Amino acid sequence: MPGDTLITSENDTDIELDFAGDEDFQENHEREKHKGKRRNGDRQKNERENQRRKRPSKLVQGIREESQSKTERRERSRRRRRRAEHETSIHEGNERERDQTRAKSTKSKKNIKNEKTRKLEGKEDGEAQERSGKGKLKLVCAKNEEKIESGDQLKEKEKALGVKKKKKKRRKKVVETSSEPETSEEGDDEEEVNNDGEVRPELLSPEELEKLKDAVDEKKKLIQSLRGKPWPMKQKLVTLRESQLFVEKYEGALGKGKGRKLYAYKVMMTKKWMKFQRDFENFKTACIPWEMKIKEIESHFGSSVASYFIFLRWMYGINMILFGLTFGLVMVPEALMGRPYGSIPRKTVPRAEEAGAMDFAVLWDFGGYAQYSVLFYGYYNNQRAIGWFKFRMPLSYFLVGVGTVAYSYMVVIRTMARNANESGIGDDNSFNFSWKMFTSWDYLIGNPETADNKFASITTSFKEAILEEQESRKDDNIHLTRFLRVLANFLVLCCLAGSGYLIYFVVRRSQKFALDGLENHTWWERNEVNMVMSLLGMFCPMLFDVISTLENYHPRVALQWQLGRIFALFLGNLYTFIIALMDAINLKRKEEKVVKYNITMWEASLYNGTGSENSTAPPITIHPADVPRGPCWETMVGQEFVRLIISDTMTTYITLLIGDFLRAVLVRFLNHCWCWDLEAGFPSYSEFDVSGNVLGLIFNQGMIWMGAFYAPCLPALNLLRLHVSMYLQCWAVMCCNVPQERVFKASGSNNFYMAMLLVILFLSTLPAIYTIVTIPPSFDCGPFSGKNRMFDVIQETLESDFPAWFSKVFSYASNPGLVLPFILLMVLAIYYLQSTSKSYKEANVELKKKLQMQNEENKKKNKQAALKAQMDLEEARKSASQTAEHQRNNNASVQRREDDEEIDNKNQRMYHGRNPSLSAGDREPQFSARGPGPRNGHNGNHGNPRYLPGFRQQSEPRMCRVPSLERH
Amino acid sequence: MTLLIKCIHLPFSFSSRMVSPAIALAFLPLLLTLIIRYRYYFVLFYRAVLVRIWKDCVTGLSREERAFQYVLTNSTPGDPDSILDAFDYWCSKVEFISNIGPKKGKILDRLLMEQNPLTVLELGAHCGYSAVRIARALPLGARLYSIEMDQGNAAIAEKIIRLAGFDDDTVELIVNPSDEVIPRLRSDYNLERLDFVFMDHWKKCYLPDLQLLEGYGLLGKGSMIVADNVLFPGAPKFLRYLRKCGLYEWKIHRATLEYSRGIRDGMAELIYQGIK
Repeated sequence: MPGDTLITSENDTDIELDFAGDEDFQENHEREKHKGKRRNGDRQKNERENQRRKRPSKLVQGIREESQSKTERRERSRRRRRRAEHETSIHEGNERERDQTRAKSTKSKKNIKNEKTRKLEGKEDGEAQERSGKGKLKLVCAKNEEKIESGDQLKEKEKALGVKKKKKKRRKKVVETSSEPETSEEGDDEEEVNNDGEVRPELLSPEELEKLKDAVDEKKKLIQSLRGKPWPMKQKLVTLRESQLFVEKYEGALGKGKGRKLYAYKVMMTKKWMKFQRDFENFKTACIPWEMKIKEIESHFGSSVASYFIFLRWMYGINMILFGLTFGLVMVPEALMGRPYGSIPRKTVPRAEEAGAMDFAVLWDFGGYAQYSVLFYGYYNNQRAIGWFKFRMPLSYFLVGVGTVAYSYMVVIRTMARNANESGIGDDNSFNFSWKMFTSWDYLIGNPETADNKFASITTSFKEAILEEQESRKDDNIHLTRFLRVLANFLVLCCLAGSGYLIYFVVRRSQKFALDGLENHTWWERNEVNMVMSLLGMFCPMLFDVISTLENYHPRVALQWQLGRIFALFLGNLYTFIIALMDAINLKRKEEKVVKYNITMWEASLYNGTGSENSTAPPITIHPADVPRGPCWETMVGQEFVRLIISDTMTTYITLLIGDFLRAVLVRFLNHCWCWDLEAGFPSYSEFDVSGNVLGLIFNQGMIWMGAFYAPCLPALNLLRLHVSMYLQCWAVMCCNVPQERVFKASGSNNFYMAMLLVILFLSTLPAIYTIVTIPPSFDCGPFSGKNRMFDVIQETLESDFPAWFSKVFSYASNPGLVLPFILLMVLAIYYLQSTSKSYKEANVELKKKLQMQNEENKKKNKQAALKAQMDLEEARKSASQTAEHQRNNNASVQRREDDEEIDNKNQRMYHGRNPSLSAGDREPQFSARGPGPRNGHNGNHGNPRYLPGFRQQSEPRMCRVPSLERH
Repeated sequence: MTLLIKCIHLPFSFSSRMVSPAIALAFLPLLLTLIIRYRYYFVLFYRAVLVRIWKDCVTGLSREERAFQYVLTNSTPGDPDSILDAFDYWCSKVEFISNIGPKKGKILDRLLMEQNPLTVLELGAHCGYSAVRIARALPLGARLYSIEMDQGNAAIAEKIIRLAGFDDDTVELIVNPSDEVIPRLRSDYNLERLDFVFMDHWKKCYLPDLQLLEGYGLLGKGSMIVADNVLFPGAPKFLRYLRKCGLYEWKIHRATLEYSRGIRDGMAELIYQGIK
C-alpha cells in the first residue's frame, strides 16, 4: 500500500528533524524536495540548470552581495518551476484533490520565500548543509519516485505549519535591519519575473509548457472558487495573493513565440482598460453634484441628515427642469421676440410710479421696473404669434403652466413608485447585522480621508441598527405611554388651534387695515401677517419637538409625527394666506370694473376731443406711460408669492445664522470664560432639524407651484435659493451642528417625504386651477387679456392653427360620452393592476418564508451531520491517544487536530451540498467515518503516533486514502 | 437688506406705538419651549441662588451653617449613615448644596471598595459630606487628607466629621488652597504616594491641581483620581487634557446632577498609568 511507505518515509524524516535544529529541519526538507523533484524531472533541464547556475557565479565573482542575490534568484526560479510541474503531476494523478494540492503548493511557496530570507542571512552555511543534506536524503529518497513525491508534499505541509511562526519573525527581522535588503529583494523579484517570462519558455519542453498551462489554469480556477472555500481568512488571503502572483508570472510565458508578445500586449491592454474604467467611474461620481459633500455629511451625521440633503438635491433637479421650461419657452421668447419695453402700456411703468421705479426698496418689493418686466404675468402681450417664426406666445404660456404641474406630478409619482419598489425588494428585518457586517465596506475607497469617513458611517449605521433592535425589544408601561401620547397630541392640537386663531385674527385685522388704507399704519402692522406666519412657523415646531419627548416614540416614528404636525401647521398657514389673497383678488376685480368703465370714458373723450378740433391732424400719440390701466390682479398674486418666497428664504437664512452659527460661535468662544461647560451642558450646539427643514422645503416648493403661473420668475428664484441653501446648509451642518444623540436610519422615511410632497402638490395646484378656471383674466395685461377665460387659448389655437378635421376630432373626443367610458376604463385598469400587485406581494412574502424555512432545515441537517462526524473522530482520537506514548507535543496537536477536523467536516458538507452525485462526495463521509481505523492499525504497528498530527492537513488522509480506495 | 434696515429704523420711528400684540403672541411658543426644555435649570437656579439669598437675608446665617444646624438636630452622632441621610434630605427638600449626592456617591463608594486605598486626598471638603462618605468606605488604617480653602466651611466640615465619629487619625482637614497644599504634601505630611484622589472643588482648578499632583510625583501607577461634576458645571479643559495626555486610563460615569433629575452630569474616573 503506498500509504504505508509514505508514512514510514514521513516518520523517518521526522525523526531526523528531531535531532536537527530548526534551520536544518527546513533545509533538509528543501533539499529533499528538490532531490525528489529532480529525479522526477528530466535530465536535460537539470543540466541546463547547472549551466545557468555556473554562469552567474562566474560573472560576478567579485561582488559578493550580488552573487548572493543572483544565486538566490536562480534557486528560487528553479524551485518554482519544479513546483509547477510538481503540481501538475498531482493534478494528473487525481483531479479530486485539486484544492488540497493548491493549498499545498501555496504553502510550499511560502517555504521558498522563507528560505529566501534565510539565504540572505547565511548563504555559506546553507551550502555546507546542502551537501550533507544530500547525503542524508539519498537514503530516504532511494525509493519509489511516486511515493517520495507524495511524501514531499506532506513534508512541505509540515514545514509550512512548523515554520510559519519563524518565517514571520524572519521577515520582521529583515525589515527591521534595514530597508535596503527589502528593496533589493523586490528588485530581484522583478528581474526574476522577467527571467521567467522571457528565458524560460524557450528552455521548457512542450510537455512542461503544457503542465505549466494546466497549473496556471488551476490557479485561475482557484482564484475564482476561493470565496467558497472553508478556510480561515488569513489562509485565503495568502493563497489568493500567491496564486495571483503565480498566474501573473506564468501567464505571459504560455503563449508561443510571436503569440506571446501579442498576449502580453492584450493583458496589458485589459489592465489599462480596467484602470480606465475605474477612473471613469470615479469621474462619474465626481460629476454627481454635491455627492462628496453629502457623503461627508452622511458619514458624520447619519443617513437621516443626509436624506435631507439628497432630497434637496432632488428638488434642485426638478426645479432645474421647471426653470428650463419657463425660461426657455416663456421668458426668453418674450424678451427677445416680443415687443420691447415701453412700446405698449402694459410694458411701461406708469407715470405716477416712474420717479421711484428704480429705488432699491421698490425693486426689493418687486415693484417698479421689476413689476413691468418678463418676471411677471402682466408684462406679456396677448399677441397670438410673435417673432419671425410665429411663436405662439399665449399658447406657450398656458401649456408651460400646465406642463410644469403635470411634470411635477409625474416625477413625484414615479419616484414614489420607485422607492416603493426598492423597499419591497430589500429584506430589511432578517440578517440585518450580517448584511451590515459583511457588505458595508466600500472597497473602491482609495482616499484615507474617505476611508475614515466610511468607517465613521459604518459605525454610525451599526449604532443605528443596534438602537433599532433595542427599540423593537423594549416594552414599557403601555398605559402610561398611551396616556402621555394622547396628552401630547392634545397639547399639539391646542397649539395648532391657537396658532390658527392667531393667524385668522391677524388676517382679519389686516383686512381692516387694507380698508383703512395701508399708508396710515406702521410697518409692523402692514407686515403683521407675514411676520406672524413666519414666527409661528419657526417657533411652533420647537414646541412640538419639546412636546414629542413626552411620547417616547422611536426616533423615526417621532420624526414622522413631528413632520405630520408641522405639516398641519404649515398647511393652515398657507391656506389662511391663500384665503387672504382671494379676498385681495376680489377687491382688485371690483377696482378693475371701475377702471374699465373709466378707461372707456377717457378714450371716448380723448378721441372726441381730437376729432372735433382737427380731423385732418394725425391721431395724437399718447405715451404709453400715461395711459390709465387696470390693477392686474395676476401680477399682484405673483408679487405676493415672490415676496413670500423672499421673506421665507430670508427667515431661513437668518435663523440659520443666528440660531446655529452665532450660537455655535458663542458656545465655542465663551466657553473659556464661563462658569459652566457650555459645550456639554446648557446651550450646547444645535442639532440639525431634519423635519423642519424638509417641511420648509416642501412648502416652499408648494408656493412655487402655486405662484409659477403668475410669476414666471419663481422657478429661477427657487433655483437660486436651493443652490445657496445647499452650500449654506452644508457648511452650517458641518461647522455648527452636532450629530443627533439618537442616530437613526431615515431611508424608510423617503417615501414619506414624497407622499407629503404629493399632497402639497395637489393642494397647491387646487387654488391655481381654481383661479385659472373661474376668474376671468384682466382686460389689459397678460397673455390672455381680452379672453373670457384663460384656457380659451386652446380653443382658439385649435380653431385657427389646425385643420378643420382636427378640431372636429377633438370636439368628438372631448364629448362626455367618450370621456366618461375612458375614465371608467382607466379606473378599472388601475383597480386590476392594484389587485395583481397585491397578490404578487403576497406571493413574494410566501416565497421568502419558504426560503427561510428551507434554509433553517438545511442548517439543521448540516449541523447533525457535522456532529456525527465529530463524534466519530472523537472516538478515533481517543483510541489513538491511548496508543500515543511517544508523542511529544500532544496537547498542541490535539488542539490543532480539532480545528482541522472542523474544517474537514465543513469540506465534506460542502461537497455533499454542492454535488452529491460526485463519487468523491459519496466517498468522503465514508472515509471520515471509517478512516481512522486503518490508521490506528499503523500507529499500533509502528509504535509511532507521530503520524496522527499529520491528519490536521486535510489532504493527507486523502492522499493515503485514494489509492487504498482504488485498490478496494 | 431693507428688511433689516426697516427692522432697525421702524421701532424708533414708531416707538410711540406699541408693537402689535399678535406679533408678541407669536413669541409665546418660543417662550414655552424654552421654559419646558430648560425647566430643570430654572428650578436649579431658583433653589441654589434665589432661595439661598432670601434665606441668607432672613436668617443671617450662611447656607452651610443652616445645613449644619439641620444635621445636628436630625441625625445620630457617631453614625455616618444618618448624617449622610440628613444631608441628602436637606439638600433635596430644603435648599441646595452641591454635595456629591446619593447616586454619584454610590459610584464613589464602589470605586473606593474596589481600590481599597490607604492614602486618600480630597480636594474641596465643603461641608464634609464627601469626607464622611469617603471615610466611611475606607479600610482600617487608611487616612484621608481633606483640603478646604474656606475657613467657615472648614470649621463646619470639621464639626460634621467629628460628629460622624472620625478622629484626627482617619481624617485630617487642611485649611488652605489646594495649589498651596499639594506642593507641601510630601514635605509636611510625609506622603509618598496617593492611592486615591477625589476632586470636588473649583472646576477650574481640576486641571492645574492634577498637573501639580503629577509634577510632584504623588501619583503612582494605579492611583485613582475621581473628579465630580465634569459635565455640569463642567471642566472642559480637564477633559481635553485627559484625552490628549495619555497618562491615564479614564472613563466618565454618566449620571444626573446631585439632587436634580434632568441635568446630566458625569464623574470622571482616572487611573494613573504613568509614562509608558
